[in-house]
Amino acid sequence: MAERLITDIGGLPAGEVPRQEAPPLFWQKHMLAMFNVLWSNGILNLDEYRRTMEEMSPEDYNRSTFYGRRLDGMIELLVEKGLIDRAELGARTDDILRKGTRDHAG
Amino acid sequence: MPAESKAAYAPGDRVRILDLGKPGHVRTPVYARNKVGIIDRYCGRFENPEERAYGRVGRARIPLYRVRLRQRDLWTDYEGAEADTLVLEIYDHWLRPV
Repeated sequence: MAERLITDIGGLPAGEVPRQEAPPLFWQKHMLAMFNVLWSNGILNLDEYRRTMEEMSPEDYNRSTFYGRRLDGMIELLVEKGLIDRAELGARTDDILRKGTRDHAG
Repeated sequence: MPAESKAAYAPGDRVRILDLGKPGHVRTPVYARNKVGIIDRYCGRFENPEERAYGRVGRARIPLYRVRLRQRDLWTDYEGAEADTLVLEIYDHWLRPV
């Protein structure tokens, strides 16, 4: 019997699709630029990125967003490849969030 | 598997999309499995995404095809035109001749 991936939703009941425009935040554009640099330099590939999505729990996948999943997947791959340290990333993220960003006050 | 597999199907050939039951990253949607369609065109050879998804890059390139399926065969409650079709890109190892 087929194992259905979380992304494999063709033919399942779906309800209403929201269509309102949501202008991207600065971190979202920044994050996509970083993703594209890593991709075009062969550090990660799109199939790996899709795999990180599919390995998320259904709860996490559904709670997250397009940009959130992309960010989490990118981090997952960089940790997996030993390029960044999860604890160091956590500490630096906390520091940045405390100081504030272009998207929010610290 | 040979480094460069040959194209096994020609446009118009009838094929069945398999259900390989393979865990991990695959790109053959569940709704298309065990369905019969016809080869629309050969797309060329590409590295297998089922390998690339785990960082195994630079391996053998395998044939990829566009397979045309009738919407009526995919969805039992399809209400569109009889002639409506859907084209999916499916890798060679997910196909069998009919």
